[in-house]
Amino acid sequence: MHMADALLSPAVGGTMWAVTAGITAYSAKKLKDSPDDSRVPLMGVLGAFIFAAQMINFSIPVTGSSGHLGGGMILAILLGPYAAFLVLASVLIVQALFFADGGILALGCNIFNMAFFPCFFAYPFIYRKIAGQNPTYKKILIGTTLSAVIALQLGAFSVVIETMASGISELPFNTFVLLMQPIHLAIGIVEGFVTAAVVSFVWKERPEVLEASSNDMPLQRGLPLKKVLAGFVVAALFTGGILSWFASSYPDGLEWSMARTAGVEELEAPEGGAHGFLAGLQEKLAFLPDYGFRQSGTVTLERPDTETRWPAVDPGTTVSGFVGGGLTLLLAGAAGLLLSRTAGRCK
Amino acid sequence: MSHHFLEVNDLYYSYPDGTEALKGVSLRLEHGEAVGLVGANGAGKSTLLLAVAGLVFSGSGTVNIGGAILSKKTLGEIRRRLGFIFQDPEDQLFMPTVFDDVAFGPLNQGLSAGEVSFRVEEALRSVGAGHLSDRPAYRLSGGEKRAVSIAAVLSMLPDILLMDEPSSGLDPRNRRMLIGLLGDFTHTRLIATHDLDLVLDVCPRTIVLHRGEIAADGHTEEIFRDEGLLERCSLEPPLCMQGVRS
Amino acid sequence: MAKKLDINFNELVSCSTAASGSSLVHRLDPRAKWLVTLAFAVTATSFGKYEIARLMPLFFYPFAMIALSGVAVADVLRRTALAAPFILLAGLFNPFFDRHVLISLWGFPLTGGWVSFLSITLRSVLVVSSVVLLSLTTRSDRLFSGLGELGVPSIFVVQLQFLNRYILLLAGEVQRIVRAHSLRSGSRRNSVSLFLSGSMLGILLLKSMDRAARVHWAMLARGFDGEVRTACPLKFSWQRDGAFVLIWVAFFGAVRFIDIPFLLFGWAVGK
Ligand SMILES: Nc1ncnc2c1ncn2[C@@H]1O[C@H](COP(=O)(O)OP(=O)(O)OP(=O)(O)O)[C@@H](O)[C@H]1O
Ligand SMILES: [Mg+2]
Repeated sequence: MHMADALLSPAVGGTMWAVTAGITAYSAKKLKDSPDDSRVPLMGVLGAFIFAAQMINFSIPVTGSSGHLGGGMILAILLGPYAAFLVLASVLIVQALFFADGGILALGCNIFNMAFFPCFFAYPFIYRKIAGQNPTYKKILIGTTLSAVIALQLGAFSVVIETMASGISELPFNTFVLLMQPIHLAIGIVEGFVTAAVVSFVWKERPEVLEASSNDMPLQRGLPLKKVLAGFVVAALFTGGILSWFASSYPDGLEWSMARTAGVEELEAPEGGAHGFLAGLQEKLAFLPDYGFRQSGTVTLERPDTETRWPAVDPGTTVSGFVGGGLTLLLAGAAGLLLSRTAGRCK
Repeated sequence: MSHHFLEVNDLYYSYPDGTEALKGVSLRLEHGEAVGLVGANGAGKSTLLLAVAGLVFSGSGTVNIGGAILSKKTLGEIRRRLGFIFQDPEDQLFMPTVFDDVAFGPLNQGLSAGEVSFRVEEALRSVGAGHLSDRPAYRLSGGEKRAVSIAAVLSMLPDILLMDEPSSGLDPRNRRMLIGLLGDFTHTRLIATHDLDLVLDVCPRTIVLHRGEIAADGHTEEIFRDEGLLERCSLEPPLCMQGVRS
Repeated sequence: MAKKLDINFNELVSCSTAASGSSLVHRLDPRAKWLVTLAFAVTATSFGKYEIARLMPLFFYPFAMIALSGVAVADVLRRTALAAPFILLAGLFNPFFDRHVLISLWGFPLTGGWVSFLSITLRSVLVVSSVVLLSLTTRSDRLFSGLGELGVPSIFVVQLQFLNRYILLLAGEVQRIVRAHSLRSGSRRNSVSLFLSGSMLGILLLKSMDRAARVHWAMLARGFDGEVRTACPLKFSWQRDGAFVLIWVAFFGAVRFIDIPFLLFGWAVGK
């Protein structure tokens, strides 16, 4: 459920970056407060383990499809929530950089969706309640499956919210939810089973490992943590909501404000010359018969009566877009080539 | 300058799962001495080195490094005097680049930046790895990894070297170079290894460990000629002496 | 699965090879590259969803970076293509839900959905290629030190460096385990069964934890006291790195606020 940059608006991406940075700083501080010098190598190596483990695909019974490990719950169980959050964030950063899984603007969203919920919700409130003390196979299985499912459901839902708030995708909310939640129910169950298998294996082979980590850094009860985190979520939803409202009322907020303040749009708007060439171009571009500005005899490039048909794309812009865009791309390519020539000569 | 000795007295150690790895080990290395520590798999060689460096703490017995008795209090000072070269260089080269790795020890000693980079250059040069300084650790060959892991220890200017299988995973030429290097060191050296030929070349004295106990301690050549002893400790005589035997 | 595993593994290796080059771009301070890449992503995603032409000037960035870094175009394309399923999926729904006709081409009505689909795809290609270029022109350890210098908490950066250090090693272990498994199972089935995966991953996990313990020992033996110090922090040169950031940010700003394709069009046709 990696989100890609292309479906995000900078506002939503930026908000989630801020939220994630906050949680990261908070977790780092928590770890600093209870130093344990064996933690750093363990975190790093376990991060590499999760990464490597994700390379294994396992077959999912009945469906015939295959999946791989997310690893959030395993890390939370072995490392506690704070360290696990940082490790998962690292895994996601590495994926974004080396496998182009998710983008750089989307990192905040992805870390939040995939690391926050298992570490700070599912682990403390579900897994630990069920299997924290005196684990048995059954408790581990129920605990991990339930946590994995719920963490993934919440993560998937927040993917929907973030996408909606960005307003780039046209997928209607209902459809999106109906698409995301059931898929991630299936993924969550598999994730839960695999996590249970791994955790039980470790529990059987080295029970002391699980005991050590379950005593390590419990989330202090009654502490403001819950409130802090709830605050984060509310703040994110709130900002997201405002921003998306803004984005949808003004399809291109930035452009809109620029036009108001600097009059940029008018700046290069036609003064006869442009109109002249457009008219002259009419014949040449007759292969675009219906593009419609023929009728616009006297109309300039300023948006005419398209106000009623909402997204304000007028035919003039379309033509200039086609030709200008093509020209720009050519120019960019040529400049790149030129650069590589000169760079090559410099060596 | 004869104070870099190492003394172990009646050392016991059991792993948390109950495995008794060391059962009353006593030994003494004099200043500048090179001693081979041999024994079959699981004999307790690595455990002994770990215990000497205070990385695992035993229930009973003492470790004395040049007059300082190993305890939580002296740990810092003792580790400054010991250089521990681990069996798998991958475990030892944990920093992003060769430079960072070799600088790790000196930086922890609180040295200035200038002093650190001088130490790093010196150490890398002495193992013939000066050109690797800026390389990331994962892009080194096995031989280069071994060389760098030795440099990472030398840069701390230790008095005593503890080495766990220094020649494992080296090709014959790199192994030769390593043997030359180890022979040239003037540190007090305790070298745990399965490479008896290396011991024969570098260490005049050998200690044989068998199931957590010392089975023999003496002149290397005499020990390697004692077939009964080697047989009992599940060891094979070194290749170059196998011809002599038959 | 073995195949995908190998591809991923090779991808990691080839990335680290490309990133150890020594071109102008490789030598830039990683902080500068992070900032520019981020600014690029923000610029590319800040356009309206029907915007196509105005994304075009942004292609100059990847072109220029390829040119200046000497990274193989094929490498960039291949790695960008790895993300293709993502890229296409991202906008795939738009044509179904946004069916109002924006313009008609040769008599075919072109709906808003298709226009935004194209726009989403283009911006994906842009952003993905910029990240690919970041990873191909910057050695990963420098990339992460750069994060630290930008203010990311040090414990985070240090464990990220450890993660990065041990990825190839553990990935190699996984590769061997899985190969051995498929050799023994003799099946050409593409994956490990769910139940086997528990013990397979469990063994790998315990081995990893043992390794972490040994690494910790190795650190302690060299005087580790809880804080990882690094020797040479990166050097940000204003002439080189500062200029790099300023020039690109100015360019992105220009692209964002000036309709370059339109100006070009006017210029071309005006003659
Ligand atoms: N982490 C551990 N937990 C439990 N037992 C261990 C551990 N490490 C080693 N042992 C056991 O302790 C004993 C001594 O092991 P040690 O590693 O010291 O032997 P060694 O002589 O170094 O062997 P090798 O030549 O294979 O390296 C062995 O029986 C081994 O199984
Ligand atoms: Mg050993």
